[in-house]
Amino acid sequence: MDQTNQMSRIVGVVPGAWGNEAVETTLAALQSVCGDMADCDLLVPGDAGIEQVRELAGHAGIKRVHCITGDGAADRAEPDVAARLVSEALSQTGGSEPATLILTPPGPDGEELAARVAFHMNGNALGRCENVRVEDHGVVATRSAWGGRKQLVLNVSGGLSVASMRAGKPVLDSSRSEAEQFAIDVNVELPPEPSLDQEPTGESLPPVESARFVVSGGRGLNEEGFAQLEQIARKAKGTLGGSLPAVDAGLVPVVRQVGISGKFVTPELYFAVGISGTPQHMAGVSPDTRIVAINKDPEAPIFSMAEAGVVGEWQQLLPEILKALDD
Amino acid sequence: MDILVLLAGVADSRYPLHEVSLDGNGDLAETGQTRRVLGPFDEGALELALKLRDKSETTRVHVLVLGGPNEDALARTVAAFKPDSLRVLELQPCRPWDSALTASQLGAFIRSDNSVPDLVFVGREFGDLDEGSIPVLLAGELEMPMFPLTQFAQWRGGQEQEQEQEQVRLMRERGTSREWLALDNTSYLATVTNDKRNKLRHPLMKNVMMAKKQPVDKVCQATDKAAGVTATSMTDPETTERNVQCRMLEGSVQDQAAAIADYIRQAAG
Repeated sequence: MDQTNQMSRIVGVVPGAWGNEAVETTLAALQSVCGDMADCDLLVPGDAGIEQVRELAGHAGIKRVHCITGDGAADRAEPDVAARLVSEALSQTGGSEPATLILTPPGPDGEELAARVAFHMNGNALGRCENVRVEDHGVVATRSAWGGRKQLVLNVSGGLSVASMRAGKPVLDSSRSEAEQFAIDVNVELPPEPSLDQEPTGESLPPVESARFVVSGGRGLNEEGFAQLEQIARKAKGTLGGSLPAVDAGLVPVVRQVGISGKFVTPELYFAVGISGTPQHMAGVSPDTRIVAINKDPEAPIFSMAEAGVVGEWQQLLPEILKALDD
Repeated sequence: MDILVLLAGVADSRYPLHEVSLDGNGDLAETGQTRRVLGPFDEGALELALKLRDKSETTRVHVLVLGGPNEDALARTVAAFKPDSLRVLELQPCRPWDSALTASQLGAFIRSDNSVPDLVFVGREFGDLDEGSIPVLLAGELEMPMFPLTQFAQWRGGQEQEQEQEQVRLMRERGTSREWLALDNTSYLATVTNDKRNKLRHPLMKNVMMAKKQPVDKVCQATDKAAGVTATSMTDPETTERNVQCRMLEGSVQDQAAAIADYIRQAAG
């Protein structure tokens, strides 16, 4: 691998070990900010999955991918470790014009990564943003507040800004060639790996972030309803999600929580059952995802976002949908 | 063990949002009938601390409530759970959108306080204007390792054992694994997420009544540190344009179910 001191002012950061979904959503964020992806670089802490990252990045229009390696870093994908690697790598390659904006993947890990990069680089943590743009005088970001009931416009007039963005899926063109790969080897002291006891939760459905089909329930359902949603997910080879109130009620585990404070999902189809469509929940569903909804309230906001809907009771509809899927 | 719980509160989502705006200095102006209550992450943080105290006579729970609208009412809500200490912390200036500034203020106050806590519990988001950055940056400020998205906490050996236990275990779920961290002698900051196991208990009515009369201690942390992030405007949210016209499925329940099944089959490929 070659080495370079060139680095754009706008940089995406995503550990390859976080998987293709994280890589794609980071590329989508870069595309939404940059007019020309040739103006962006992608930094990849650790070399896990680097070939796949190069291919995806190239198809998204990125010209340069920098793989950061260091002693003991190969198997570490925690946000804090990634942040320390990125901080050291950028201090080596900053050149005359250091990075102005770093974008990380959406979701809890990506948001933690953004804050940690900001901390290690003495930058400004912008958090989970809806829009970010780089202007001559600095960075301007739009972010929701009060659970989506207000929007704040934030301005940073100097230094580094770090943000996480929920921009959905990137535009990929497979006729574009792979991005060129560069190596940045860093020497940085990493925090000790936490000693964790692990046990299986019994979860056997795929993660909610990477499924093509997500069926999701709200607080209006009960355990029987969620059991039926799970059956639908299994029959359709999709997965199960839920709203924050459903998680609070113990109907679905928090790792499946979709929404502003939960996971950001980008499936082909989101089947929302008993979900009203609050801004807090819908902030977790990609704008380019198609939605089908069941709700007993004809005025529920979800119907203004859904491609198709039924005003009705889940108790009647879910068993019939299961039967129909068997036909 | 000394546990510090940081609580920011959130506007009660059951009511319309009170009047909020930015003043000429770019600071927050909140007027009208503010209803700040404990949010689900605040409640989880407080409940986990109370759970640990329930099982240990030497564990003390100290609470800092972020100052702001209806701070007395919010603090008295917390007082009903009988924390060992309770103070309202006013930040000057209070600009929660500037995570680094806010974390540095919180960190400076905690460091200057009498003793460093053994464990800090804070919701994964610190109030309505934070998106999860403040707790992460605070862990950095305090030079504490962070355990993110904690769902449950217990003394090592489990709750069924009556004798005093030595280690606290924190639990979170990731993917298909449940992960437990046993705390050593290092102080930790744990962010707390919502979970059925950390739903806040109901306080005793006699404690609620006592809390209504309890004076609330107030402390302040000021800084003249320059703002890194400035808020320039605040607006109503733009609705996400999905450019769809909802096709309302008509007919019998069976017809409606069949139409939905078609959508699902198509997505499943």
